[in-house]
Amino acid sequence: MGYPTTMDGILGIWTALALMLFVYSYPLYKENQLFRFAEHFFIGLSLAIAAITGIQTTIRLAINPLMAGKVHYIIPILLGFMMYLILHRDYRWVSRYPIAILVGSSIGLGMRGTIIPNILSQIIATITPPKPGADATAWFNFVYIGIGTILAVMYFLLTFEHKGPLLYPTRLGRWVIMIGLGAYFGNTVLFRMAMLSGRAQFLLQVLGLVPF
Amino acid sequence: MSQESIWDRLQRIDRRVIYWILFILLMIPFIRPLSLPVSIGPQSITFIEGLRKLKEGDVVVINISSGVSAWPECLPSLVAVSKVLIQQKAKIIFWTSFVDGHMTFEKIVEKVPEFKKLTYGVDYVHLGFYTGAEPAVAQLAKNIRSIFTTDYKGTPIDQLPIMKGVNSANDVKMVISSDTGDYCDYYIRQWRIPYGVPLAEIGIAMNFSAYQPHWQAGILFGVTAGARGGAELEKLIGAPGDATITMDSINTSHLLVIVAVILANLGYAATRRRK
Repeated sequence: MGYPTTMDGILGIWTALALMLFVYSYPLYKENQLFRFAEHFFIGLSLAIAAITGIQTTIRLAINPLMAGKVHYIIPILLGFMMYLILHRDYRWVSRYPIAILVGSSIGLGMRGTIIPNILSQIIATITPPKPGADATAWFNFVYIGIGTILAVMYFLLTFEHKGPLLYPTRLGRWVIMIGLGAYFGNTVLFRMAMLSGRAQFLLQVLGLVPF
Repeated sequence: MSQESIWDRLQRIDRRVIYWILFILLMIPFIRPLSLPVSIGPQSITFIEGLRKLKEGDVVVINISSGVSAWPECLPSLVAVSKVLIQQKAKIIFWTSFVDGHMTFEKIVEKVPEFKKLTYGVDYVHLGFYTGAEPAVAQLAKNIRSIFTTDYKGTPIDQLPIMKGVNSANDVKMVISSDTGDYCDYYIRQWRIPYGVPLAEIGIAMNFSAYQPHWQAGILFGVTAGARGGAELEKLIGAPGDATITMDSINTSHLLVIVAVILANLGYAATRRRK
């Protein structure tokens, strides 16, 4: 893709750049009218798109089948409407029924596939040693994950006070958890930087300093 | 009035100065690439190995659960994966749980020139947007047609040759999920475990720590860590692209973060000792 040549395309990228700079004016300068305009514009546009998509999806998945004679589709439509009663003080209780059905079905569905990947497979992967001929890193990971798992789980032994024989293992467990959370945070920073680098690249592309 | 030391002044640097330095540093590698080396992790190797096992005509689903805002992170991997899928002559079905997912699909098609040699509706298709989170993913596994009756252009699904005989998870050879959230968990629970469909994750870097244990346990055959993972895939398939360029920029920004963390801690230690 090269630099846009149509009026629509050029207008589009320059509008996008202006809005982006309005948003970045907050961290790079201070809160101002342009930032607020971009913020409200973004929220309004996002909500409008979400509303239209929601209506279209409801028509496609519920209204159309209902009109085609599938009478039982009236049930999800009614449940959907019942949810909006959350906005009415007197009839708020009605909305609890569709929410209960939604939460219940989601939990039920989620439970059926949770045990194997999140518990059994994790235990098997933790206690399975590396294959013969594996390098030192694989063995280090195996030992670290094995011991780290035990120590981290011990930290959550809340029915016993963390003293005596439990003092050092639980303290080490806390360190293991902190290292894990640190890795998580590091990856989060990596993600934010990548997003920002994408915007930096876009700025240069619009200015014609790097190819599109 | 006591004279301020350099550590005191460092601790009082206006955050906007750091943001400006960061933003400028991020731009430099795009103008003058540094070509820093990218090492390849085992998660990317198994990812490509998994894709290479596909045979001609195998149906692969690419679930786009990442928005346009995540393009720097997810798009390069999606492009690299699409290239390999086309090389393997697989049939690709895209669908999305994000309202702007069709823009990602169109961007992938634009960035992979090989798509021009393929026929839409025969070799690849985009079925469009679905909502409903995990129950919808479960329903897709059971009956695709109960969620999608047309593709994103409005063509009835039964008029699309690619969809002939493709009704449920049993007819799909592989799922690639691109996430900024937890849709991969839904696919693990509703596709991988009940139906045994091989699954790989193209995630933002933030997701990597969460899905790495699933790769370790063999639930996922591949995981990528954002742009970094994209650069690894690009290197593995011998087609450097956007992620390879982006990595220079990200590495430079990380250098700034590391320097800032060291300076801040040194400053903290120095001022605390003085107190």
